[in-house]
Amino acid sequence: MAWFICVIILLLCSKSEQCTTGNASKLIEHTAAHFFEKMQSGKMYFIYFGKQVNPTIGLFIEQLEKSADVLEDYGISVAKVNCTNEHIAKYCTGEKLMKKVYLFRGGNVLKSFDTDTVFDVNAIVAHVLFTVLFDEVRYVHTIAELQSVERAAKGKADIVLGHVQVLGLPEHRALMETAFVYGVKYQFVLTTGGPVLTNMGVDDISSLTAGLWFLHCKGASQSQHSDPCPHTALRRALTTLHIYTFLQLMEAPLVSEASVEPSEVNMVHSHLQVPLLFLFSQPHTVALDRVTAQTLAWRLRGQVGLVLIHRESPDVKIPLEYNAAYRLPGEGSEVKYLILNNLEEVIDLFRDESTPEEEEEDDDNWATLDVLDDEVAESVYRDRGQSLDMDAVTELTADTFHSTVAESDYTVVLFYVKWDAVSMAFMQSYIEVSESLEDADVSDVELAVLDCGEWTDVCSAQKIRSFPTVRLYRPQEPSQPYQGMLGTESVNRFIMLSRLVSPVLLSSPDEVTSFLEGDLYQRHAAIAPVTVLGLFSSTADAGVPVFKEAAKALRGETMVGLFADRQAEIWAVEYSVTLPAILVSRGPTGQTEAHSLNLCMPDQLVTHIQRALLDTFSIQPSIEKCGQRAGQQAASEKRMIAKKAATVINGGHSAHLMKVHMDQIQTLKTEIESLKAHQQKEKHYLRAEIRATADALVQSQLALMESRAVNDTVEEGEERDGVTIHARHTCELWNSTSDRQTQHTIPFKCLGSLRNVLVFERKAIFLCPFKMASN
Amino acid sequence: MDSPILLLLALLVALVQCFSDDYHSHNSTRHHDYCVLGAGPAGLQMGHFLSKSQRDYIILERNSGPGSFFNIYPRHRKLISINKIYTGRRNREFNLRHDWNSLLSDRPDLLLQRVSRELYPDADSFPRYLSMYVKELGLKVQYGVDIGKIRASESESPRGRGYILTDQRGLDYTCRVLLVSTGLWDPQKVQFEGSDLVEGYESIPVDPEEYKDQAVLILGKGNSAFETAQSILGRASRIHLYSPSPVRLAWQTHYVGDLRAVNNELLDTYQLKSLDGLNSDGKNSSKVTATNLPVYHNDNFSLRQPYDRVIRCLGFRFNFSIFDGSARPPSSEGARGRLPGVTAWYEGRGTPDLFVLGTAAHSRDYRSSAGGFVHGFRYTVRAVHRVLELRYHSNSWPSIKLSISQLQSWLLRRVNEASGPYQMFGVLGDIILLRGSHCEYLEEFPLQALPQFSSLSGHQLSKHGLLVLVLQYGLNRTDSLGPGRAESEWTRAWRSNFLHPVLYYYDKLPTERDMRHRPVGWPLPRPKAVHHMIEDFLTEWDGPISHSQPLRRFLEHCLHTDLRAFYAESCFRFSLTNRKPPLFCRQGYLRKHGVVRNRQLWQHAHEAGLMLGGQDSASPDTDPAFPDYLTQAGASVSSAINLDF
Repeated sequence: MAWFICVIILLLCSKSEQCTTGNASKLIEHTAAHFFEKMQSGKMYFIYFGKQVNPTIGLFIEQLEKSADVLEDYGISVAKVNCTNEHIAKYCTGEKLMKKVYLFRGGNVLKSFDTDTVFDVNAIVAHVLFTVLFDEVRYVHTIAELQSVERAAKGKADIVLGHVQVLGLPEHRALMETAFVYGVKYQFVLTTGGPVLTNMGVDDISSLTAGLWFLHCKGASQSQHSDPCPHTALRRALTTLHIYTFLQLMEAPLVSEASVEPSEVNMVHSHLQVPLLFLFSQPHTVALDRVTAQTLAWRLRGQVGLVLIHRESPDVKIPLEYNAAYRLPGEGSEVKYLILNNLEEVIDLFRDESTPEEEEEDDDNWATLDVLDDEVAESVYRDRGQSLDMDAVTELTADTFHSTVAESDYTVVLFYVKWDAVSMAFMQSYIEVSESLEDADVSDVELAVLDCGEWTDVCSAQKIRSFPTVRLYRPQEPSQPYQGMLGTESVNRFIMLSRLVSPVLLSSPDEVTSFLEGDLYQRHAAIAPVTVLGLFSSTADAGVPVFKEAAKALRGETMVGLFADRQAEIWAVEYSVTLPAILVSRGPTGQTEAHSLNLCMPDQLVTHIQRALLDTFSIQPSIEKCGQRAGQQAASEKRMIAKKAATVINGGHSAHLMKVHMDQIQTLKTEIESLKAHQQKEKHYLRAEIRATADALVQSQLALMESRAVNDTVEEGEERDGVTIHARHTCELWNSTSDRQTQHTIPFKCLGSLRNVLVFERKAIFLCPFKMASN
Repeated sequence: MDSPILLLLALLVALVQCFSDDYHSHNSTRHHDYCVLGAGPAGLQMGHFLSKSQRDYIILERNSGPGSFFNIYPRHRKLISINKIYTGRRNREFNLRHDWNSLLSDRPDLLLQRVSRELYPDADSFPRYLSMYVKELGLKVQYGVDIGKIRASESESPRGRGYILTDQRGLDYTCRVLLVSTGLWDPQKVQFEGSDLVEGYESIPVDPEEYKDQAVLILGKGNSAFETAQSILGRASRIHLYSPSPVRLAWQTHYVGDLRAVNNELLDTYQLKSLDGLNSDGKNSSKVTATNLPVYHNDNFSLRQPYDRVIRCLGFRFNFSIFDGSARPPSSEGARGRLPGVTAWYEGRGTPDLFVLGTAAHSRDYRSSAGGFVHGFRYTVRAVHRVLELRYHSNSWPSIKLSISQLQSWLLRRVNEASGPYQMFGVLGDIILLRGSHCEYLEEFPLQALPQFSSLSGHQLSKHGLLVLVLQYGLNRTDSLGPGRAESEWTRAWRSNFLHPVLYYYDKLPTERDMRHRPVGWPLPRPKAVHHMIEDFLTEWDGPISHSQPLRRFLEHCLHTDLRAFYAESCFRFSLTNRKPPLFCRQGYLRKHGVVRNRQLWQHAHEAGLMLGGQDSASPDTDPAFPDYLTQAGASVSSAINLDF
């Protein structure tokens, strides 16, 4: 076993040179002697001299460590000197907190930075590179300055003009990193706003935080001294990847010509994920077509690649009616042919990234929008061929409504409108209720429906405000709304229970027992095993009318009995509660629970009983007093829910658990819902915090992966093509996937790989990777 | 000892009381909170609403019965407002869409069809119907009171400003609020040389025999002109109709005041060259039609032959003369100044507490909607009454509180039956005040008064904004009978030509300025979002794909909520897997009111692939609170990222 670990360690060490230091960071800690020795080596050093560490400095050192990895690629070592142990004159000053970082080259201070300026990795890299590239990157502010740069560059090199509003931001870093790689090929110019931008056609200077322009000065003839070079703007965010792509595009020929099918044209653009536009030319119009293509290419430069295809070639088989086509980036994307009448159309085609792709998506959307996406509406719609068996229910009208309601003992009315899918879905269940009523030989219930689309007066008079509405009418009594589930079983139970008087007045202990065990109302007990019994010491008890009122309200929901007698006291003692109390029986197999009652308002009592009915698995913690504050209630509910939920999850130890009705779970949900509302605010903060942490994590990962990627390639060798392919591959992978989960990880790979390309370019151009160092 | 004195005192008091009562009744002043001037359809309609809300009101009428205008007009005794009894529907509200004569009341059978079964009833049936209306509803109408002078009372009475009306006997009536429903009585005249020889529509003989072999020139091209022409078509030798403007056919313009097809037999004989004709000079000159015709200069001048009769059928104007300067509303800008100018809530401009009702209030929607006709103004009168209730009795505009999940079916209910917005298209609209999880539904609010919504309705707007439901015709006029006149594809609903519902969504109330600068032809200013429901041939807007679903999506867009319905199983799943399940589940399922599918529907839903079943879960990653197309629209982030590469 031990030898195995040894092998692994050995392997790891051979893989990574940092292994020897035992620390992944490339931040070196110097001793004084070490420092002076290194200063003589002629390399570049970025060194922080520090003594004490407060949180701010701590953060800075963290960032410094990260930047060490990055800066190493540019031949700059990052180090820190601990001034408490070592003393280096001039740098280790007497201050407790030292806020200076120095950039050395060959023993001389190139520049010193305040730690506030170089506050994070981006700022460190940006500022250090900016200093290193001081000779290569020109800083301009006025138009005159830019013009002088342009004049000097004309005919020799193209200019890359970068604008960042503030130094030290990621955009600045991206620009500097590119400048480091391409610094000799192009003349880099940096500005931080001002008149130069207006020259570039920027209207609102203050709103533009960063921008990049490519000034085509190489091709411009020197004779036209005063004319500015034509320029192309980068229309995307300033990132290393975008700048790289952009510069590649600028290098690509303005218009390419080909004599093959558009699908076979292979250009750098497709690797760079840029759409291609094809124009088809005929032999006799070639000259004109070229001019058109040139004009177009200038307008679309940096966004679209332009290819002129010679139609006369035998390889080209394009329908004659088309004069243009385009192909979007991405493997296997199709060539789309079209007819263009003027240049503006083409430009509109690609304007503002609203590539034609989106328009087509729109078309698709219309088609998909035709499909019903509401499951209830869709299922009802699919059922439209089936006609409902309306004979089973009574269809009421304005003329028959009142007479029907007055005549039957019980009239259940469903108010519906035909265009409401929920009404029509429920209608099916409702009709099924009539069948089950028939089976149960129930004859005193009239099951009726009323179409509010036709009998609008009745519905207005009955104050029907939502569809579907079910109400139970009894002669000489106010109608009772049905508020349960819209399904056959629940409605059926409601009707059956509604036919019972509520509360059932019980006179003897025997009756009570048979009521609780479900023997008294066997048929009802089969569908609703849970019964509630109110216990009072006498009928004169002040609570009796309140209880009766509550029982009335619970009619249809559950069976409620009332036993008011001296003998109730015996029961109370047996269940160790004080009177008045309720007994909740869950049928012959379930147990019976007792709760003391604190009688107040009927509606409060109703809620109380409803809660008692729910609580199948745990005993009610305590009976709340009337008018208890909401906060306290929430707290106790929380406890209850926790208990209930636990029981549900552990469940299975009782057969009864298996039969738990959906309703109970629903009420649980309702309670959880209200709890959620309580916690919402809390959660909000928590989420924000988590998000911030995650962001930070992502940032650091990004840096880490970038630097690793660079390292890897440096080690792996000079296979440039291989790396490029690799980069492309991963980018496409990410591009084609729409899964949001993967979005966080894959882009880093892309970016890292792209950085590889940059580094390789640098290597390829100047065999010596670090120009400054060689100076 | 004391009692005789007390008795005496009581007697004295009683006597004084008697005297003062006597004094009052014989004094020439009567006071009412509301005076309604004229017992025509508009006056009676207002009378009904005032009596229903138990207000102190009186309807003053100079003639001996209601609707006396209809005892004379139309001269040829056929009403052209339709009285369609059989609509195939029993919905009372819906049937009112096709009953243009009845007034609104709570009695389901108090309709004109009780008096006449004709589609175009005889004119006499209308006053008969109105008498019945007065009698059955017990409206307080005082006949034989001919108000000759109306002035504003500047007296500092505790009730504030009011109006004093003086009748033919010099009796004064003081009113807190004056409701002018006098209609239009004054025939519109035109002055030119020889205009004294012109006969008026109001006095021409209606016996066709009187026109035997006569050449007749009729001035005007409205319904009365054509009605006259039609009646004498079989007797007169030549009938020419003259007016400066071309004939406008109601079925083309959708304006019922334009020439109705029931009157246009003459067009037939004109186009078939049977000696009758139309002439529109375009020159609107009052000198052309008389004796000095320019026949000398142009031997092809169409009016070169002399006429035996010239009849003027130019319509009527509002009688401004009874108003004292202090109480006279200005002439309207439109309708050639024939009507009084009124605000969007029909109060006279510059005459507070004086409202104009009925045909005289037509200046608000002249030549565009039905406000000048019984089937239109019965609804504007109701709107005015609601304004009165708030202003003088602090009863805010009646509203219905609805849950947001019910809004869609409620809107469909209104568009499928409501008669007010249907008749008064583009003028009256339903307002829905959004309030988060519920909303307030207000019916038939005058749209032009939207900037003053809060002060007129007594309802406040919340930050959630409001929706306005309007019925309107398409703006691009097309050939009413040509091909492509109707759209049937719901995606092209915005191009609908025929009357169709349109929903406007505003996040805040439009201002006066917005109202003034609204696009030409629009009833309302540009909203934040607008939704046209595709026109429907049967005017039944209940198709799940063409009507319901696009409407639901529009509401979802405005409310930023998923409004779809779900079965209990889906709700259960959502409740366990989401912090906030869809609204339908929250308002239904989570309150133990979910929808249980039966086997058949379950099957259908599964086939449609909409249920979030175990293995074929549609897209568990996406947020169920938003349908897919919403995330697409809103997720600019993801699309932007995609385009970066």
